[in-house]
Amino acid sequence: MTDMPMPRSGTASAAKSSLMVADANTRRRNAAEKRFRLYGATAIGVALLALVVLLFTIVRDGSGAFRQTYLAIPVQLNAEVLDPKGNRNPEEMAKVLTLSYGKVLDAAVEAAVVRENIQIQGLTEKQISGLISKEASAQVRHRVLANPDLIGQMIDVDVLANGRVDGFFKGRVSMESAANDKNTSPEQLMLAQELRDRGLMVTRFNWNFLTNPDASDQRPEAAGVGIAILGSLYMMLVVLLLAVPIGVGASIYLEEFAPKNKWTDIIEVNISNLAAVPSIVFGILGLAAFINFAGLPQSAPIVGGLVLTLMTLPTIIISTRAALKAVPPSIRDAALGVGASKMQSVFHHVLPLAMPGILTGTIIGLAQALGETAPLLLIGMVAFVKNYPAAPPEGLFDPASALPVQVYNWTQRSDPAFIERASGAIIVLLIFLFCMNLLAIYLRRKFERRW
Amino acid sequence: MYDMNRVENAVSQGDIKISANDVQVYYGDKHAIKDVSVDILDKTVTAFIGPSGCGKSTFLRCINRMNDTIPIARIEGRIALDGEDIYDRRVDPVQLRAKVGMVFQKPNPFPKSIYDNVAYGPRIHGMTRNRADLDQIVEKALRGAALWNEVKDRLHEPGTGLSGGQQQRLCIARAVATEPEVLLMDEPCSALDPIATSQVEELIDQLREKYSVVIVTHSMQQAARVSQKTAFFHLGHLVEYGDTDDIFTKPQDSRTEAYISGRIG
Repeated sequence: MTDMPMPRSGTASAAKSSLMVADANTRRRNAAEKRFRLYGATAIGVALLALVVLLFTIVRDGSGAFRQTYLAIPVQLNAEVLDPKGNRNPEEMAKVLTLSYGKVLDAAVEAAVVRENIQIQGLTEKQISGLISKEASAQVRHRVLANPDLIGQMIDVDVLANGRVDGFFKGRVSMESAANDKNTSPEQLMLAQELRDRGLMVTRFNWNFLTNPDASDQRPEAAGVGIAILGSLYMMLVVLLLAVPIGVGASIYLEEFAPKNKWTDIIEVNISNLAAVPSIVFGILGLAAFINFAGLPQSAPIVGGLVLTLMTLPTIIISTRAALKAVPPSIRDAALGVGASKMQSVFHHVLPLAMPGILTGTIIGLAQALGETAPLLLIGMVAFVKNYPAAPPEGLFDPASALPVQVYNWTQRSDPAFIERASGAIIVLLIFLFCMNLLAIYLRRKFERRW
Repeated sequence: MYDMNRVENAVSQGDIKISANDVQVYYGDKHAIKDVSVDILDKTVTAFIGPSGCGKSTFLRCINRMNDTIPIARIEGRIALDGEDIYDRRVDPVQLRAKVGMVFQKPNPFPKSIYDNVAYGPRIHGMTRNRADLDQIVEKALRGAALWNEVKDRLHEPGTGLSGGQQQRLCIARAVATEPEVLLMDEPCSALDPIATSQVEELIDQLREKYSVVIVTHSMQQAARVSQKTAFFHLGHLVEYGDTDDIFTKPQDSRTEAYISGRIG
């Protein structure tokens, strides 16, 4: 603080001004400075508060997605139901639908309840088996098809609990809300509580949220962001492979080699304009150019990646040019002065010095692309995708989803359990963005040189 | 300890190295250099003096075609190095700059190690076949720039960590490492303190044994100390050119006299 000490009383003599007394002008200036500091501190405070509220809300709503309730029960895999021909032929077994597995599971749940001697007041069989997820039968079927020898045996499985039951343990569903809910009843929840008390029902970390594909409206408990993460990664791969070399190459040419004339001026203005084009416009462009004209498949990461490349290019070009401009001209002179060619001076000296700026700009561009939703909606990335895309490069042409689109998709659904999933997906997305920004900071530190 | 003690100016002046005839330089509409004709000798230090904006740096930058990097600059007339026109269409400026090295006003070492700074020129010109040769060239250049004893134990530390005077001598070492024939220096001491300045001046005097040195300077005392020939520029004209002693003791032109006596500039 450079403020002068303020005297208590203003007994300044008119004849000669004293340094001990702040005059009116000084007081006014000091007050203005104080006000300005206050404004700044207030702005920071409001911004921080908004951030805290945002993070708090998302973590509160989304942390549940990372925990899931399972029912641990032994299941008798009845050979007559699951392998009617009795020959363990995988092709024949594949014809047995999840419906049959459902029956086997229903019996197993009932048996477990009976074994534990739990009072079931007025609960129908359907309500008891309703404790587990509709996904559970598919879960068991998967396991059996992978290992046909299990048939006829008694196996221990952790089956997914129904979304309402799961919600009950996470506090989302209460007895009162269950009473008004035709999908569940307070009695069911009491039974679930009994099972939990006896250690059959457990809530633990939900890896499946990170690996599972999306699930239908009826089974929020099975929905995951696996395909969305893969789709987003594939798109980032496309963006990285296309946008970075094209963007950095274009910037180097424009900044270091291109003649300065009206054509380069026009190009420069248009690149800046492109950066301000709404992203949904890029989506329409992508639909018209890549899907309708070039005939690329819908919902494919390659199309999403191409659209995001177009969107990211201006960001990368602008930041790269700024980084190149910031390299002192004396370095270029020095290189030319010892007989380096223009290209040698750029690649040996200017580019390494501009590297931190280029990397930061590129990563920020990528992070922006990672969070982009609107253009992806238009090229069909919002479709329900149940099968994992293959490994790249073929997988780039398979249908996939993307993290922000998955969030958008889930928030459209009626079951409140999907709100939890959506918030969970936002947390995953934020963690990705956070890691990318950390990487940007790390690279910046690593490549930064003083001169 | 310096590598060499200051030697007397016992080197005999050589033949004409650079010959400029009716050189005109325009920056857009501005006529920066007007009708400059001058013969610069080999194994001689030639000083360009004159008030700010008189075109002495511009003319210096014509000699190794550094003005080519300025899009609006246009050069007319003829500048010949050993009788060959350097502005001929067949001349590659990159090759020319290997023969005509340059040291700038502000020390501008690359943000690399001392070794790499000096080795950069020889490397890109393919002057060596192996590491041992390169080591030798670097040592020779650093000795030539009177810097070897100060940096020999820290060749792989960054060149930007040296003091200002050391940095400028590093830039000189970098310039002489490519074994040029002419060394252009654009106010090499303007960013240095008096001690560093005297070290660099001593160095310039030694460089004269091998090179034709052209130095632009604001300081008339410096011109008098280091040069054998002096050219006085004023408003884009070469007003007077001759032996340094003559210029400072009996100038022919009234403008020269006014400048060296401190009445203009």
